[in-house]
Amino acid sequence: MANQNILIIGGGIAGIEAAKGIADLGYKAILVEKRDRLGGNPDEQQYAALTPDLRDASEALSEMMAPILDHKNVEILYNTLVTDASGSMGDFTVKCISKGKEIEVKAGAVIVATGFTHFDPGRETQKYGYYEHDDVITLTDAEKMLKAHNFVRPSNGEKPKRVCFIQCVGSRDRQIGNEYCSKVCCGISSKQAIEVRQQVPDCKVFIFYIDMRMYGYWENEIYWPAQEKYKVNYVKGMATEIVKKGDSLLVKGEDTTLRRPMEVPMDMVILAVGMEPSEGTKQMAKIFGLKQNKYHFIETTGGPLDTVSTSVPGVFAAGACTGPADLEDSVSMAGLAAMKAITAITKLQAVPA
Amino acid sequence: MALDLSINKYADVPYEEKERLFDEAKADGRWEHVLYGCYECGICVAACPSARFYDFSPRVIAQAVAREDVDLVYTLMNDSVWDCSQCFSCDRCPRQNSPGQIITVLREVAVRNGLQTAKQALEGYGRIIYKIMSTGSQVSPDMLQPNAFPDWGKHVHEISENLEVWRKALPPETLHTIETGWKVDEKTIIELYLIWHMTGVMNMIEEIDEGLFMILVDVMEERLEEAGYDVTFD
Repeated sequence: MANQNILIIGGGIAGIEAAKGIADLGYKAILVEKRDRLGGNPDEQQYAALTPDLRDASEALSEMMAPILDHKNVEILYNTLVTDASGSMGDFTVKCISKGKEIEVKAGAVIVATGFTHFDPGRETQKYGYYEHDDVITLTDAEKMLKAHNFVRPSNGEKPKRVCFIQCVGSRDRQIGNEYCSKVCCGISSKQAIEVRQQVPDCKVFIFYIDMRMYGYWENEIYWPAQEKYKVNYVKGMATEIVKKGDSLLVKGEDTTLRRPMEVPMDMVILAVGMEPSEGTKQMAKIFGLKQNKYHFIETTGGPLDTVSTSVPGVFAAGACTGPADLEDSVSMAGLAAMKAITAITKLQAVPA
Repeated sequence: MALDLSINKYADVPYEEKERLFDEAKADGRWEHVLYGCYECGICVAACPSARFYDFSPRVIAQAVAREDVDLVYTLMNDSVWDCSQCFSCDRCPRQNSPGQIITVLREVAVRNGLQTAKQALEGYGRIIYKIMSTGSQVSPDMLQPNAFPDWGKHVHEISENLEVWRKALPPETLHTIETGWKVDEKTIIELYLIWHMTGVMNMIEEIDEGLFMILVDVMEERLEEAGYDVTFD
């Protein structure tokens, strides 16, 4: 008979949702988290507001995780890292270091939800100078400033008058090796552009892009309002270089639709960094022997019709450990992974021993 | 020659003045219904007959105003807006922008503020403006003169000589006219003059062509007075 526990690795959006689903259906969820709190990237990186609805991120996260914090079917192991795994579907034995001590967790199925990490702009092949210019920041840096309602130039603490976003930093780039679109950055940049305009109304905001990719309702919920209500200036054309000129930054690129070269002064530049597999994701792939794609995300095996099954039976993956995913994707995948994990252990149970 | 989008062309005009004119356009009551945001997709250019013959792009108009590019808007207001034939084929925009109506508003701002380029663009239209504004009709039979329409051949001689007879051959009595395209009712003309007066059109004419303005004022004030209206244009 299969072990009736389901192990979830990673306490971000997908992990929380999976644990909730499993517990509510009456099964035991063991949630392993490397930090001392849940919430994943949105919590760790102090997101200000969620995309696309601009809801306060802390408030939404607290509300989301509340039901599992004292759920009788959920056991949360904080400060815990998975170090080794053996066994197979119905009978996994997973070794962890929990608060410095080695422990062993038994589970019938496993859901990996170890997420992504933001692209390190030090690796970009343009000349944006993230580590060189104080006023060149990333989406995550901007998120923290917006959350604190303190959106100012890092170089001098003054409110900026001209800010631009540069899209696709670390994404859609063969030279870097990340050929994929990171999916969420267009929406997040547009969301932040709205927030900048709300917090610093005199500031002009530009977004330099290759394609704006805001599918479904993100179009009318973020893109159109950013452009129409908040007068965010979308310019099709990528910047290739940022140089310091006097007190400000000079962004060089092409305004493609107006067919003219562009050298525009900016007070701040925000690099829309994409997603890469987190260290934990790469580790879990190795420990569980999961097939990875060429970008080292965990490969799901069912194409578009099964987004959570991996190359190892009984191990499922949810959220951004499988590739770029937004909150909606992560929550949907987590629900599916919970359902498939339960199905895996109950099917085994039904087989006579 | 490519569309000239140079901002240096009007570098001597202060930015504040360009901004003032743009703000006047944005304050127009129609503005929010003719400009939303621009995808810069070019569907308006694809539909535009003028764009096939001139270096004219309704997309550039829409994107310049959507981006609030004050310098570029000023350049276009002095130049490109006069290449539009106001057919509104561009109204098929997926964002529901109307580059044609944006142009209407920009032209009106240009005229109201007496921009030199607007005067130049409208220079050749004095006679037509006079005819429409004073009579309510644009093309009239007496315009059919051989020297005006040589390409019509000798036929035009024959017609121009017996205009009155030809016009009487038309069944509706309202078309038995020579100096106007049809019989314009006295009440219609008075209403028309009052519209010109009340909507500020006469102020625009004054900015653009003072001579034309004075001639029109003479004609209109006299007829309005006869009809019992005490109206002065100044």
